[in-house]
Amino acid sequence: MNAIEVRDLTKRFKDKIAVNNVSFKIKEGELFALLGTNGAGKTTTIKMLSGLILPTSGEILINNMDMKKDVFKIKEILNVSPQETAIAPNLTVLENLKFMAGIYQIESKDKKIKELVDIFKLNEILNKRAKTLSGGWQRRLSIAISLINDPKILFLDEPTLGLDVIARKELWKIINSLKGKITIILTTHYMEEAEALSDRIGIMSNGVMVDIGTSEELIKKTKAKNFEDAFVAIATGGEL
Amino acid sequence: MRMICFAKRNFMELTRDVLSLVFEIALPIFLLFIFQQIKIPGDTFKLVNFTPGIIIFGFAFITLFTSTLVAKDRSTSLLIRLGTSPMKPRDYILGYILSLIPIIIIQNVLFFAAAILLGLNFSVSIIWTILISIIVSILFIAMGILIGSLVTEKASGGVGSIVVQLVVFTSGMYFSRELVGAFFAKVCEILPFESSLNIIKGFLNNDFSLISLRNIIVFSLWTIIILIISIIVFKKKMVSDNK
Repeated sequence: MNAIEVRDLTKRFKDKIAVNNVSFKIKEGELFALLGTNGAGKTTTIKMLSGLILPTSGEILINNMDMKKDVFKIKEILNVSPQETAIAPNLTVLENLKFMAGIYQIESKDKKIKELVDIFKLNEILNKRAKTLSGGWQRRLSIAISLINDPKILFLDEPTLGLDVIARKELWKIINSLKGKITIILTTHYMEEAEALSDRIGIMSNGVMVDIGTSEELIKKTKAKNFEDAFVAIATGGEL
Repeated sequence: MRMICFAKRNFMELTRDVLSLVFEIALPIFLLFIFQQIKIPGDTFKLVNFTPGIIIFGFAFITLFTSTLVAKDRSTSLLIRLGTSPMKPRDYILGYILSLIPIIIIQNVLFFAAAILLGLNFSVSIIWTILISIIVSILFIAMGILIGSLVTEKASGGVGSIVVQLVVFTSGMYFSRELVGAFFAKVCEILPFESSLNIIKGFLNNDFSLISLRNIIVFSLWTIIILIISIIVFKKKMVSDNK
């Protein structure tokens, strides 16, 4: 079953086309990486898929529900970890988790919070105010919050941006543990991250989905030495 | 439920900012105390007239800190996260308004406690004044939401300060508008602060002749219009901020 189906998706901002006639499908439980250079249209695509902004035209089906008709039903089953850390700064880690559990009206709130605290090892910082945490811990909390409603679809927008190697590897481990259970759409600028984590990769350039495939398929197709070279070849149309 | 949850979070954010509590509560009480020590002649600074002025002055800081909270929420990714949740626009607006009601009640109780200590007679009118103040405060909260939706976190402090100054100079809390000329008196009539003050004064003094029909119309129109505009602008900004 397809978790996400996108047909002819277009987003226009005044005279600029951010996303141009993009179509693709993502299977249930798949980890799909969305790559592209700056301004390629990745974040705009994610914002449309998560119901944050409306497309100019095109169709988005999430678990066979139409984004235009069932946006609030869809929002119950998805969650997003935005590019910048999305937490309430003056609230403690525990209060942040409780706050978002309330927003999603989670019934077994305490059980879910305990589960997330264990997975993300948040115990030692549970009563610290979010604004006092390091960037790595804030990001960890932000991703933990995005799992509060047991989403069927999770959008991770550059989840490891600005993190040190150890924090990044730790997050990779957590993301890997979610694979198969949740459909994940990941955007990243780190090629090795996309290669290590994703089942399939979509490459966007100038608002267009240029190619989709596994990392091996894309390397083979471009006859590149490694995935980074394959990405460059696809994103630039072979100009570099 | 979502609205209550959001309101609870906003309340915690607001009350954990010590500076906001100083300006919203401590400064007005300090002014109330100081002006009672000076013994200025005339009716303006009598406790029954000046305490309502202090309430309005405290509300001006509610506008300032509400605008900062809304602007801060817009500048962080928290609103993006909430925007992808099943929260509806009314949950945000009512969540902001509800979070401030307990602060308004605490403000009022402390202002009146201080006024009673300074010599104001306790009466049932005080309870009615607190209740009517909650309604009046909606105008100031809506102004905060509107300013916070329009400007950045840094600018919200400056714009909020303008509201504080407008309240000071056009509400009549320090001087009667008749003292400052016809043009300025007209400005005071048109802006909602003098009307807000007169409504609160009328209830505290149990003298409804202090509240004119113009006061009710001006206050109601401003409150309804600002509330509607703040909802529209906040909704629009939530989308445009995410482009």
